[in-house]
Amino acid sequence: MVIAALASFALLVIAWIVAPERHRTPEPIETAVTEAQPVAA
Amino acid sequence: MSEVNSGDTAWILTSAALVMLMTPGLALFYGGLVRRKNVLSTIMHSFFILGLVSVTWVLWGYTLAFGPDTGLGLIGGLDWLALEGVTGEPSDVYATTVPHLAFMAFQMMFAIITPALITGAFAERKRFKAFVLFAVAWSTLVYAPIAHWVWSPDGWLFGLGVLDFAGGTVVHLSSGVAALVAALFIGRRTGLIEPATEPHDVPMTVLGAGLLWFGWFGFNAGSALGANGLAANAFVTTNTAAAMAAITWVTISWLHKGAPSVLGAAIGAVAGLVAITPAAGFVTPAASVLIGLGVGAVCYGAAHLRLRARVDDALDVFAVHGVGGAFGAIATGVFATAAVGGVDGLLAGNAGQVGLQVLGVVAVGVYSAIATAAILFLVNLVVPIRVAGPEEETGLDLAQHGEVAYQV
Repeated sequence: MVIAALASFALLVIAWIVAPERHRTPEPIETAVTEAQPVAA
Repeated sequence: MSEVNSGDTAWILTSAALVMLMTPGLALFYGGLVRRKNVLSTIMHSFFILGLVSVTWVLWGYTLAFGPDTGLGLIGGLDWLALEGVTGEPSDVYATTVPHLAFMAFQMMFAIITPALITGAFAERKRFKAFVLFAVAWSTLVYAPIAHWVWSPDGWLFGLGVLDFAGGTVVHLSSGVAALVAALFIGRRTGLIEPATEPHDVPMTVLGAGLLWFGWFGFNAGSALGANGLAANAFVTTNTAAAMAAITWVTISWLHKGAPSVLGAAIGAVAGLVAITPAAGFVTPAASVLIGLGVGAVCYGAAHLRLRARVDDALDVFAVHGVGGAFGAIATGVFATAAVGGVDGLLAGNAGQVGLQVLGVVAVGVYSAIATAAILFLVNLVVPIRVAGPEEETGLDLAQHGEVAYQV
């Protein structure tokens, strides 16, 4: 029982080492660009 | 009559309070998983049951579940109706070192959370009025008899030797099966985004899982019914199984979907807590590691099968509580050791215990399924169980309760 418990944890450790790292970037946010307006005198 | 032990009494009352906190914790756990237009109605299911079953348990639930048997080991009599005769003196039968009222209060908290667990299955589409009728009927006609079968010394499953330390069959299997039946009866949500809706507030769900984990120490360690070594064993196995199931679920989802899911950690922990519930006072801490590993994998698979089966058990009550409860009950028969709880299981040479555990799972599962279906059918004749389409579209918070959770 003790060996099985230790082995199961070791299995998880191996899984963490081989698990993929998928980097996700946020989708670009499009912002409306307004034309520059003349400063009121 | 036994003397009241102050240490035991303090622990049982504290445990009752810990288990009470699990129901608001469940409200947050479920509340975070639904869409923002249904968060209040989902929270209300659990919170209203906290009031509702507190009253019905005092009036008739306790005597039906734990009262002197009526003869066949199926249900308690009405001797303790409205707690008549249940006093500050210890019972001759249950937890003989604490006041009978303290034992009753501890059991009340179990009776409260069990129907609250089912509400995850019909979230986002159940009419509140129908929910109230269902909760009263289910608590009386399903929970009370099953508690009697398993936990009363005169109960027929107890008499056969079925083990359930803190409610793997009584609480989790019964509610999980009821949830599946309810989901099939009420039908799928409209406007569902495949494969399922996104949780509206993951931090709320993680907070709820944390409160559940905290309260579960009362649930399991309190079920030792004394401040003793058995309680300490149950405390440690409970924490270990929850931890192992959480990291197992995260690992599998990481390998499967490419990212270590925060939501997976929360749901995995709950699956571990469910599975260790029947076993906590019968197995060693090393066995609880294996139970956590097994249930993390099994419930992860069950949740994904549910998505493929297109059964809209909205918050995976069956996958976590039904499957996890059955897994834990059978695992108890495998890993039990007399050194902890006085009964050996399969690995200690008592293969027959597994058969008894399977019998318990089948009996509780079948009864819960049939009785739940009958209750839903009858309630639906009185009050339609499902809200109308436009109400579902609006969201139950506004349509059923006249309130909204968020102003922004």
